[in-house]
Amino acid sequence: MDVRAQTAMVFHLDKCIGCHTCSVACKNIWTDRPGAEYMWWNNVETKPGTGYPTLWEDQVNYKGGWEVTDKRELKLKSQNKKNFWLKMFYNPNQPTLDDYYEPWTYEYKHLTDAKLGDDQPTARPISQITGEPIDIEAGPNWDDDLSGSPIYAENDPNLSQLSEDEKRMLFEIESISMMYLPRICNHCANPSCVAACPSGALYKRGEDGIVLVNQDVCRGWRNCVAACPYKKIYFNWKTGKSEKCILCYPRIETGQPPACFHSCVGRIRYMGVLLYDADRVEEAMKAPLNSLVESQRSVLLDPFDPEVIKGAKENNISPEMIDSAQNSPVWNYVMKWKLALPLHPEFRTLPMLYYVPPLLPVMGKIGDGIYEHKTEDFFASIEQARLPMKFLASLFSAGNLNEIRSVMKKLLAIRHFKRAESRKELGSDKIRKILHESRMDPEEAEAIYQLTSCPGPYERFVLPPLQREEAMEGGEECPESCKGSCGLGDVQTPKRGL
Amino acid sequence: MMNQMFFVGLPYLALFLLVAGSILRYVWNPFSYSALSSQFLEKNALLWGTLSWHIGILIILLGHLPAFLVPELWKSLTSNFVFLLTVETVGVMASILCIAGLIILIVRRVVSGKLQQVTTVIDILLLVLILLQVVIGLSMALMHRWGAVWSTGTTTPYLWSILTFRPDISYIEEMPLLVQAHIVMAWIILMLVPFSRLVHIFSFPFQYFFRPPQKVVWVSERRKEHDDSLVVVQESRRDFVKGALGLSVAGALLSVGVLDKLAGFFYKPEVSVEEESKLLEQKLKRLEQTAEERTYQLERMKKEFIYVSRLNQLDIEKGKYFIDYLMRPALAFLGKDGLPILISAKCTHLGCTVGSELDNQGRILCPCHVSYFNINTGMPNQGAPALDPLPHLGWVIMNANNEIILEQDPSGKRYGNVNVSSIDKSNRVFIAKKHKE
Repeated sequence: MDVRAQTAMVFHLDKCIGCHTCSVACKNIWTDRPGAEYMWWNNVETKPGTGYPTLWEDQVNYKGGWEVTDKRELKLKSQNKKNFWLKMFYNPNQPTLDDYYEPWTYEYKHLTDAKLGDDQPTARPISQITGEPIDIEAGPNWDDDLSGSPIYAENDPNLSQLSEDEKRMLFEIESISMMYLPRICNHCANPSCVAACPSGALYKRGEDGIVLVNQDVCRGWRNCVAACPYKKIYFNWKTGKSEKCILCYPRIETGQPPACFHSCVGRIRYMGVLLYDADRVEEAMKAPLNSLVESQRSVLLDPFDPEVIKGAKENNISPEMIDSAQNSPVWNYVMKWKLALPLHPEFRTLPMLYYVPPLLPVMGKIGDGIYEHKTEDFFASIEQARLPMKFLASLFSAGNLNEIRSVMKKLLAIRHFKRAESRKELGSDKIRKILHESRMDPEEAEAIYQLTSCPGPYERFVLPPLQREEAMEGGEECPESCKGSCGLGDVQTPKRGL
Repeated sequence: MMNQMFFVGLPYLALFLLVAGSILRYVWNPFSYSALSSQFLEKNALLWGTLSWHIGILIILLGHLPAFLVPELWKSLTSNFVFLLTVETVGVMASILCIAGLIILIVRRVVSGKLQQVTTVIDILLLVLILLQVVIGLSMALMHRWGAVWSTGTTTPYLWSILTFRPDISYIEEMPLLVQAHIVMAWIILMLVPFSRLVHIFSFPFQYFFRPPQKVVWVSERRKEHDDSLVVVQESRRDFVKGALGLSVAGALLSVGVLDKLAGFFYKPEVSVEEESKLLEQKLKRLEQTAEERTYQLERMKKEFIYVSRLNQLDIEKGKYFIDYLMRPALAFLGKDGLPILISAKCTHLGCTVGSELDNQGRILCPCHVSYFNINTGMPNQGAPALDPLPHLGWVIMNANNEIILEQDPSGKRYGNVNVSSIDKSNRVFIAKKHKE
């Protein structure tokens, strides 16, 4: 047993309102730099939709992530050592700027500097790459709220599991539904970007599992960009380096949650420590599609288990870290309640960002919008949901409908349970039955309700107890002296020159 | 002096900058140590451009390598004509691929507005220089054929003489201009490596093939000693420092050698009086020799006629060597008509002296790179590395009274009306100043 500590996250999608505050917070801190204008380390997508970059989930095109070979070996789908020679001079699986969008700003100066004339001066959009005026044809959230549109939503790769009938139903006017999917780097426990990096610039931080790029070692091969199935590594076209979400580690080290977590309006984001067994990762990632979610869970270790605590201590994981793992809201959502699921587990990277699938769009239309329960089967409505279960299963459980169904049942049961407290529509036997069917007891339902609906900041963010002094032990040059040169704490200004 | 500068000074400067510059750039600015990829901004033209260029140049460099590393083996291999022909054909095809690729790369950089944002002056300069170099190489392959063979005896020893710090430019001094341009350009491009995107050659990720897939870096020192898992790779910083140290030591040693030569090139080392007098003596002797040679040469130049041979000493099968007005070797044969045939013996390929014996087809052989020249027409054989014919020389025949009996100018036109059979065989054959080219 090789116990490791990992900073893990849960996003509760029922609470996401799609306001993009997280994206803007991140942009202002990290990617407001030349060459990084097009990057959104945090972005919010509308599902069904094509996302950002366009069709990132389509691994037939990008060939990201891992696959299991016939010999039951785990290997990178495309950016592996064997293929390296073929792709040394030209890598066909790379996204280009067109797959994201051409970043632009407006010619604000013209508003004040224009010559006196008959017309009101305007601020034309100009490209942030060339400085020339452009016609804006795409943007970072171009398909925002556009569910049902034939060019965006209908091309969502997750719809491929649905029958033609189901697709038609989904996009029927007046019954169109959608959900928001905020995405950051998953800081995977089996990251394909790290495995694909020829230069060895990408690494996982031992203390907290944050995946980072060493900018001085990166040689701009961009294999990580192609290998990351979530397309959460970006190529800075100006510096020629890969960049990615750093989980605001300078903030975490000083006891603050990352900017996107901190700024989240819906308070959908939870952060906590998970302990996992690094020795078991590879074997678990070879599981067949249907049991992938379960096998990913099996890698996580119970922080209360004395064996695990002993192993953690042997691995020099600090008592504070173990303590933090025991209080982790992520542990509760992922393991204790089994409510949070990984995004696209079939990429086999063991993502450490888990999502609680949304119930809201599911329930909207049933019984012409009238919210009542005539039959004894309280959970029948889940099957008739607007957003088909198959769609959610394609996103969060590699197609395993049972996983989604059990989460939905729990979410719905909690709703009945809490409603019964004030409205008394359902008798206590019925509530007991509902809770029993969704495999919960009243205490658990209450706990889930508390952590979901009214958590304080210290319940949502149980940060890994990393000390700044400890982080600086590594002998890095003084970070204060490089303030202002670059958002990534480079010692030198990231200028290429030659 | 110019030759010294281009073929000794420039190479050492280039090698010094290459080694020192590449190491220093890695130490001072590791951030910039790569080629700035532009695939993100434009990928369609790049596909054709970069693939053609890289594959082409790799094939070409692979062809240059054995001629440099194992010249003897390469020489014996290329003595097989089919092999030689294959090598040269592949080389020509690869350089055409390179040129096509480079043109695409240059055009796309110039045309696209987005790409101009990531293009520096040195990028364009480099592309143009490399294009020029490949074009020169290609024209060399076409005009001075069978470079795969002749390079082993000319440029290879020159290169080794440079690398072993015993520069000897005699191997290439007399080479055609095109070959010399190719060499000079190669040094210039090597010199540019540390100052351009070419440093990416040194960023080939050898360690990638031997490392486990996952890499974990411990920020604090506490965990480092406890790492025993294979999956965990220590922070590469220490390895990097060690590697950089080793490289710097090696680089410094090489630089010292290069610098010494470079300094020696500009500042002569001090010597003792004895040594100096000895050196002066040698120098004087050499100068005397040269003066002698020059006087002799001048005297010859002044003469209206230079004696070649008596007519009856000339042979049909075996030529007689003599030196012409321009101090070049030439051959005198007896023609079937009983009159002399005077032909230059300096091969038109790379200037070797041609053999004197006729083969059964009436041809003389240049032993350097196997060109056969017909002595009647001067033409080289089909497929020979030499492309131009050997020029004929004019001659005069004088009798014992120093009267010209018969004369022929270089173009073959005869003056004097004498029956050939009536000429006394003891008459002498001369070359005439008026026939000097």
